[in-house]
Amino acid sequence: MKRFVTYILIGLAVLSVSACEDFLEKGPKLSQSTDLVLSSYDGLNKATLGAYARLGNVGWYGGERVLESEMRSGNGIKHIDHNSNRYMTQMNWNYLPEATSGMWATGYVTIAACNNVIDNLEGKESSEVSAQDLNNLKAECLFLRALCHFDIVTLFALPYTYVKNNGNSLKDNQKLGIPYVYHTDSEARPAREPVLTVYENIVNDLLEAEKIIDPSYVRSGVADAKAVVTLPVIQAFLSRVYLYMGEWQKSADYATKVINSGKYTLYKPEEYTKVWTGNTGGSEVIFENFIDLGNLSNEDCSYMTYPEGAYGDCICSPELYNLYEDGDVRKDLYRQDSNETEGLWWTLKYEGKGTGTPDASNTVILRLSEMYLNRAEAIVRGATVAGTDAVKDLNLLMKNRNASQYNAVGVDAIQTERRKELAWEGHYFFDLARWNKGVTRGSCYGMDVKYQNIPFPDYKWALPIPKRELNVNENLVQNDGYKE
Amino acid sequence: MKKVKLFFTAVLVLIASSAWAQSQVSGVVTDASTGEPLTGAAVMVKGTRTGTSATSDGTYSLRVSNPQEAVLVFSFYGFKTVEVPVSGRSRIDVAMEVDATTLDDVIIVAYGTVRREAATGSVSAVKGETLATTPATSVDKMLSGKMAGVQLSSYSGQPGSTTTIRIRGTSSINAGNEPLWVVDGIPIIADDNRNYSNYGVGGGSNTAFLNPNDIESITVLKDAAAASIYGSRAANGVILVTTKSGKAGQAKFSAHAKYGLQQMANDNHYRPLTGEELITYWRDAARNAGANPDDPASTYYVPYSLLENGSHNWYQDMTRLGKLQEYEINASGGNDRATYYSSLSYHRNDGVFPSQSYSRFSARVNADYKLTRNLTSGARVNIAYDDSKSGNLMGSSYYINPAFAMFMLLPWTPVKDEDGNFFKPSENSGNNPLANAAYDEYLDKEYRFNGTMFLEWKPIKHLTLKTTNSAETAFVDSRAYSNPLADPDGESWLDTYFTKEIRLTTSNTVTYANVFGDHNVRVLAGQEAMTDTYEYVGVDSPHVDPAIPYPTTATQAEDQGAYSFSEYSLLSFFGVADYNFANKYFVSASVRADGSSLFGAANKWGVFWSVSGSWNVTNENFMAGTRDWLSLLKVRASYGVNGNNNISPYRSYGVYGVTQYNTANGMLPSSPDNQQLSWEKNKTWNAGIDFGFFDDRLTGNLDVYSRLTDDMLLSKQVPYTTGFGSNFMNIGSLRNRGVELTLDGTILRNRDWLWTAGFNIALNRTKVLDLAGSEYLTVADSRRGNDTPVRIVEGMSMYNFYVREYAGVNPSNGEGLFVTEDGTLTSDRTKGRYIYAGSPEPKFSGGFNTNLTWKGLTLSAFFDYVYGNKVMTGNWYITDGEDVLAQNSQSSALNYWKKPGDTGVLPKPIAGGSNVWYAGYSTRFVEDGSYLRIKDITLAYTLPEKILKPIKLSGAKVYLSALNAYTFHHVNTFDPELGPIGYAYGGNHPMVKSFIGGIEITF
Repeated sequence: MKRFVTYILIGLAVLSVSACEDFLEKGPKLSQSTDLVLSSYDGLNKATLGAYARLGNVGWYGGERVLESEMRSGNGIKHIDHNSNRYMTQMNWNYLPEATSGMWATGYVTIAACNNVIDNLEGKESSEVSAQDLNNLKAECLFLRALCHFDIVTLFALPYTYVKNNGNSLKDNQKLGIPYVYHTDSEARPAREPVLTVYENIVNDLLEAEKIIDPSYVRSGVADAKAVVTLPVIQAFLSRVYLYMGEWQKSADYATKVINSGKYTLYKPEEYTKVWTGNTGGSEVIFENFIDLGNLSNEDCSYMTYPEGAYGDCICSPELYNLYEDGDVRKDLYRQDSNETEGLWWTLKYEGKGTGTPDASNTVILRLSEMYLNRAEAIVRGATVAGTDAVKDLNLLMKNRNASQYNAVGVDAIQTERRKELAWEGHYFFDLARWNKGVTRGSCYGMDVKYQNIPFPDYKWALPIPKRELNVNENLVQNDGYKE
Repeated sequence: MKKVKLFFTAVLVLIASSAWAQSQVSGVVTDASTGEPLTGAAVMVKGTRTGTSATSDGTYSLRVSNPQEAVLVFSFYGFKTVEVPVSGRSRIDVAMEVDATTLDDVIIVAYGTVRREAATGSVSAVKGETLATTPATSVDKMLSGKMAGVQLSSYSGQPGSTTTIRIRGTSSINAGNEPLWVVDGIPIIADDNRNYSNYGVGGGSNTAFLNPNDIESITVLKDAAAASIYGSRAANGVILVTTKSGKAGQAKFSAHAKYGLQQMANDNHYRPLTGEELITYWRDAARNAGANPDDPASTYYVPYSLLENGSHNWYQDMTRLGKLQEYEINASGGNDRATYYSSLSYHRNDGVFPSQSYSRFSARVNADYKLTRNLTSGARVNIAYDDSKSGNLMGSSYYINPAFAMFMLLPWTPVKDEDGNFFKPSENSGNNPLANAAYDEYLDKEYRFNGTMFLEWKPIKHLTLKTTNSAETAFVDSRAYSNPLADPDGESWLDTYFTKEIRLTTSNTVTYANVFGDHNVRVLAGQEAMTDTYEYVGVDSPHVDPAIPYPTTATQAEDQGAYSFSEYSLLSFFGVADYNFANKYFVSASVRADGSSLFGAANKWGVFWSVSGSWNVTNENFMAGTRDWLSLLKVRASYGVNGNNNISPYRSYGVYGVTQYNTANGMLPSSPDNQQLSWEKNKTWNAGIDFGFFDDRLTGNLDVYSRLTDDMLLSKQVPYTTGFGSNFMNIGSLRNRGVELTLDGTILRNRDWLWTAGFNIALNRTKVLDLAGSEYLTVADSRRGNDTPVRIVEGMSMYNFYVREYAGVNPSNGEGLFVTEDGTLTSDRTKGRYIYAGSPEPKFSGGFNTNLTWKGLTLSAFFDYVYGNKVMTGNWYITDGEDVLAQNSQSSALNYWKKPGDTGVLPKPIAGGSNVWYAGYSTRFVEDGSYLRIKDITLAYTLPEKILKPIKLSGAKVYLSALNAYTFHHVNTFDPELGPIGYAYGGNHPMVKSFIGGIEITF
């Protein structure tokens, strides 16, 4: 009897042990495991689309990438009647290692999403999936990876042009860029690469993307074809990156490629004030962030530039507003609050998608005007492009804005026109940085007077690396001027 | 040949004659009180190893070698041992008397029972009779203060709310801290799946579906030796609940009814200000702002005419006398083959706030049937339906919560306007909680089914095989409806949720137990498997038609669906071995291997174990001389390792979540892969001593322990360059150490009088040893998702208040003062430095009770206490906010600075909200949370037999009880009980006190 019982027990134990491996596998059903997502073309394709999803975050093109630039550069001011205490730090340039830009986090988690795809494409070819299909995904991810690194390095490091020209006289931590992350590795504690290396890597990623993408590729199934990566997007961005590096000829050449692609046309004066409320990008738009009305997330660009029923903290400075001549259609792209408060103007570039409320606006990231401005600036700096010159390029833009024509174009004209055209699109701070020009404001606008003007150079042109990041990565060093 | 025959004959005769010198003794062993046979009673010949045990009809038979001199020793557990000289007799019948001191001492432990004497671990047990004296409304609440080291606290006095239970302190930061509940051998679903009726309480043990009167006993397993057989779920201790089963004999019916009234427990008379008080307060605030309160042009115009239309007391308007009623009938009985216990009960509690109620119907059937001589089957089935209703979201910091709003609403704001419609007071954002109570609905209906069936087979003597299988389902229907008649904007919305949790468990054991002379052995091996699935589906429907307030009338465009699903499984193998020698030396060891789906592939299996031993010194021969005064002396020690798997499913999986971009579906990494994720480990040692004096007139035990929580599950920050900001890892450790003492004594015992008293005290100290690099963690209010002023700090106690240092009032101008970083005083609160302001962990806590019986009359009282803890109420938010002229305040606010030289007062109020020294956490709001609570006073009368017999009743009892009768404390709120973190935002449902009368009859 005892033996019989023993046999039964042994039998039961064997049965249950062999069955238990399945019994204890209870994977999530409402989400998919990383391994599974990255094991098929379908998963990789969705993971690529997902990598775009954070573009609209408040910490990125949904707000700070644009507004941080405007408020720091003197394009934006604050007023006591429209003050929710937002964008105060940006205006005052008083970032701390404990409270610095969120771009670091947003950027690196997106980079990881890109790397997951790039590192898992190999061997996914099949009868339905061509090598080109895989290359297109790779190009999208390479572009986004480059964009992220660019948007991080322009905030957290001193400008490329300054480091390149003054390299020998700078301290070590003034020459540092950011870690360039190529692979997702939970154990890695990457150090900061030199600024110059980071830009080199950005260019390399973009050049490879340019090389492998199908020139006609546009991701299918999306509402806004301007909000996904295509060949001209990569080329337009290369024009900007080269411009930031002072590689004038290359910048001009890539701008020319985009201009000559024939896919984009400059906004006409009569349409200029109306093109900002479309659901998808207008004729000038090369690349933008798409905000879905049916699936809203927080978005600051609209809320901060909307004086009624929203915060309206970010107001156009008189210095900027007064740059526009009467009759310039760009001057019509500002409005007042319901009290018509003297001297307070808000941009209309984020007026929502026609709902009459500050629900959501796409943020333009690359558009044709910038290409003309890039090329004009490059030519002024010594680049040559057959069939055009700086005056021609700039006057074409002036004509389409009902603004006065130039007879001659120098650096000052380029800088002013760039500020006027690309205001409230997140350019001016980064332009000032690469021009190595300080910020001068007409008044302190109620702030402490010591924040009115920011000279260049100054340690503040590179934001503090987040303290929490230094805490967990012993290979990182803080920027010069900030407490470790 | 003849010689040979002769020789053999002689030998045979010799052998036979020596055999004749032995004699056969037989007889029957019975229970002296009932006359029933005592199966299994041991009969030994004193001083020898010869012995036997009584058969099922109580008979025994054995040979005695020296019938003239021999003495027989009859012993049976629960009866007094009897020694009878044989004196040559061949038949000896013995009627054994019940030993009252030991019979109580069979305690339920994991997978079996044990005599208290044989217990080697730290267990506390409460029997049904002790439990029954407290007319508690749910099982968890029956435990309060009854056992050393078991601390209960409630965030809410709302009927049907859960209780937070901490056994020997808080041992985990991110995994759960609630104990494992095991009912009739099966770990049950003790989570709270309700959405609205327990709002703002969160977590806690939900055992409301059990009828307290069905409970036979509750055992709490506190140390590793007792609990670690539950392996990965044992770290927070185990509560074993055994429900009643029937006894063979005539059917017995019992019925009882109780009825009671409830009111808010508010022994410090905490309240909002009256109209007159508030107007004085406001006018002073206006003057302090430099305004003239009588100037109509002033922003701070506060004329006395505000009171012209009278004022009223919202506190009184929004509270009422609660009602509590309960009716139950149960029947039990059986014969020698089948026994049953069944009960049906109805409980209803109408709360102290309007429209609030909780009702529960429950039915139980426990049946056991002896199929054959060695095969027994039984079932435990409990069905419960409970229904919690309210028109207000109690526990929230929302304006519709009367406990919150009574400090917002102004005394001169009327309840209704001239047309008889509910007024929509602007100071409360247009919300009138009385309108909400009248029109809104926040309700949960819970359906619970627990069914357990077992089959026990004894194929041979000493060997038992048992299989126990259980299905448990918990369904909750939740509905929240905001009626346009109560909504400030006149809009309606509706949330409808259906939640389902199903748990299946199988538990199979084989036990071998035998006695070899002085050697007692028990070996148990077992296997268990469990799966649990949880699912909900809901729909949020804005703008439903108030005429038909159901999801069908909301527009499709606005409807939003919600769905969630999770599941997990557990597979276990375990074994226990007990051995004792001559009831003097006891050793026990257990081991359990648990495999869980919750953890990473590399760490799915964990092994947990314990060893323990005890020495019953009193049973040693050399102690014979002291037995007349030292009736029990036992020392115990144990060590073991158990685990805590109380985390949500799928945390080990690297997961992509669905995301949308550009109107298409994409996927984005949502959590990092963590194949190493494993249990938290809890390593506990325990040493204890049990003692009894003067025939157990005074008994007690003393335990010391240390629990080390290791491999603690913490979210650790990682560089964003890895793709995530944090990852959940097994890092960090903390330790709980403590001492527990329990004393019980009989002060007076004679024919008519019995007076007993008991006392317990527990001291526990928690120390966080390692937070894996984090300096401190800020405790989020899990109930509401925002940060609290409580931090977890390395090297300190588990919870600590860190707030700005308040330095009283500047006597010259009445401004509040704070100490800055460099030690100077400032009136700018934001410059005040943060300091450690005490811990909510009590220095000690416990309870005491006394019970006085005179003939049929019993007076019992039960107290619990907590000493040396700090608490902080979030009342500042409501009452001392920055906007003085916008809301009411609390009664204690009146003690403010009025003229230069005033000290020991609160800062002066200033209208207009510039007085920043008021609001915000500071040491000003940290208070001593010590309390002594008269938990229960009961006067009961058991009717004597001479009255009962003529009316054919076998028992009857009437009683009167006061629950939470009075609480001595100094906390500036209704009640000092504020949960383990000692902090409460405004709006908690205050505790209630109840006055109950009841009757119990048996026939």
